[in-house]
Amino acid sequence: MNLAHVHIILNHVPALGSVVTLGLFIVALARGHEMLKRVSLGLFSFLALLTIPVYVTGKVAQATIVDNPLVSQVLIVPHEDAALQAFMMMMLTGAFAWFGLWQFRRIARFAAWNLGIVLLLGALTVVFMVQAGTMGGAIRHDEIRSGDEVTPAVGLLTAASVGAFVNDSTWIWPAAEVLHFVGLSLLFGVVALINLRMLGAMKEASFAAFHRLLPWGVLGSAVNTVTGMMFFIALPDQYTDNIAFFWKIGLMTLAGLDLLYVTAFDQPWAVGPGVDAPVSEKAIAASAIALWIGVIYFGRMLPFLGFAF
Amino acid sequence: MQFLMWLEETGLAVWVRESASLLAYPTILLLHTIGLAIVVGISAGINLRLLGFAPGVPLSPLARLYPYMWTGFWINAVSGGALVVADASRALTNPVFFIKMVLIALAVNNLRLLKPHLLAGAPAGAPRTPNRVRMLAFTSLVLWVAAITAGRLIAYISV
Repeated sequence: MNLAHVHIILNHVPALGSVVTLGLFIVALARGHEMLKRVSLGLFSFLALLTIPVYVTGKVAQATIVDNPLVSQVLIVPHEDAALQAFMMMMLTGAFAWFGLWQFRRIARFAAWNLGIVLLLGALTVVFMVQAGTMGGAIRHDEIRSGDEVTPAVGLLTAASVGAFVNDSTWIWPAAEVLHFVGLSLLFGVVALINLRMLGAMKEASFAAFHRLLPWGVLGSAVNTVTGMMFFIALPDQYTDNIAFFWKIGLMTLAGLDLLYVTAFDQPWAVGPGVDAPVSEKAIAASAIALWIGVIYFGRMLPFLGFAF
Repeated sequence: MQFLMWLEETGLAVWVRESASLLAYPTILLLHTIGLAIVVGISAGINLRLLGFAPGVPLSPLARLYPYMWTGFWINAVSGGALVVADASRALTNPVFFIKMVLIALAVNNLRLLKPHLLAGAPAGAPRTPNRVRMLAFTSLVLWVAAITAGRLIAYISV
């Protein structure tokens, strides 16, 4: 099992999952089924989280097949661009879906504007995912090539344009680094407060009171996703040749699952004022803090653990 | 300048700069990052609460987070000291470094000034934080972001 193999397997999750989730979501809206709405929003968030490892392993897959005469070399970059656009749509969908799940705890229902935006973005995501996925399959499978996959990328978002934006400037990289540190501080701060409460600090407060801070943590992770993608797209080799980077992404994905868990599930929400959380919740809280420290570790150690810098 | 060059040749400085061990320069940098995540992160959480977000969080329990922040601060003071000593002739002649020190001093002072307000603790759901305290919380956020920016720019700007 290598990282190219991971890409081949994992890409099916957001590509097909977005179609299935959109279907579930439409059924949920049509039937007014609250639990199914909740599940759909959770799935959109989950898919967004997984799309990050899918994208970065894709770059490794590219390096693996670059000299392979059996694949369509000319489809690779259009697939990458289509994937980047699908990535962006999936992230936007996941962000709004997450917000709906968070907001549900405050207002005890789903806001119509939020459901509408998720429906629209979810549909766009499916369109882009199908395009990216079909192109990706056609790289290897000549039996599905129709001959007209190499269309110019829709819109301005291509890997080359992002790379040029970052690399043609002297100040964008350092500015993105500063934002990456600010984002990690915001994220880690919210994670620390929420999980310290779960571990028994500040017990007078309910978990629900700290739940209100979660959007700031997600804002931090959004800033870091954007700046992280800028680094990755501008200089991919120093990351794809570095196993520490993939440890970072792996731990980050797991830690992101914890964020989703504390946002939407009932067990953390049930920890009221003065209540000592059950051992299972404490274990989850402790591992969440450990995971984010692990992310910081591999992020900071990137130049020293790998050999690509 | 002679003193700075002497600093750079101390055993600690040479070890930080020249050791190939992952436990030297890389670990010191790592500790500096973790320390900043702790201080700035927890401080940001407290400041956001004082600015009115998450109003259900009672104030006085937040004061119990100060030991964590001081731990992060001292981790950074020590790791930062090691980083400065290893490169003393450039760090201690770089205005950006001194700007960073001033910003951190101001931010830490804000934390000190905010603590009594937390301890006096309006309970959850009490009336709006006084403007003076909101200003302290807001400027604290700005100062930490500025300090992070200055810290990052030390490596890029040398005069």
